[in-house]
Amino acid sequence: MTIISELFDDAKFVVSYRKEKMKSQKLLDARAPKAGDIAPDFTLSDISGTESVTLSDFRGEKPVALVFGSYT
Amino acid sequence: MSIQEIYEQYHEDVQFLNIYIREAHPIDGWWLGRRLTRGIIKKIFPYPKASMAHYDPQTIEERRAVAGECQAALAYGVRTYVDEMDDAVNNAYAAWPTRLCLIGLDGKVVYAGGLGPYGFRPAKLQAAIESYLKRS
Repeated sequence: MTIISELFDDAKFVVSYRKEKMKSQKLLDARAPKAGDIAPDFTLSDISGTESVTLSDFRGEKPVALVFGSYT
Repeated sequence: MSIQEIYEQYHEDVQFLNIYIREAHPIDGWWLGRRLTRGIIKKIFPYPKASMAHYDPQTIEERRAVAGECQAALAYGVRTYVDEMDDAVNNAYAAWPTRLCLIGLDGKVVYAGGLGPYGFRPAKLQAAIESYLKRS
């Protein structure tokens, strides 16, 4: 496979995958909480699975910045 | 302005929660190409600092392991919490691939950032924090 065809195939895949993912993500986005909405509560564990946090525990204590992401 | 800078500036007044959700660019998902393409992407874009060396975790243990690598790499000093395999928190906030939110003392959303990566604007989060702290 030539360099050009590898790059072309990769670009096609990335574009089509993104298009498909963004379509489903936009549906979720419409339902995501907006400013003024009650933030959906959650309890999650840390990377060790031993320490957990509950969002609503911070009510009246501290505002909370949520940073959602992944490694890549 | 980076999230780390915002954390350093406001961590005494604001609780920061790093939430690891579904991997954005696993090898078996939205993979950014093979070796050649990845090399070019990494040269052009500083982000994502895509290792692109992980498969999409299939168990909570695998997800925690990748989240642990992420936490170590980010080195904010912020503890990372991991969404469960049902992606409940990710879905509730439509958070994938990245998103920023500020929640007020009353449990209401003060700032709901746009969908990342294009809507991922740390400077807007910083402005929202600054404005909120002045008001409260």
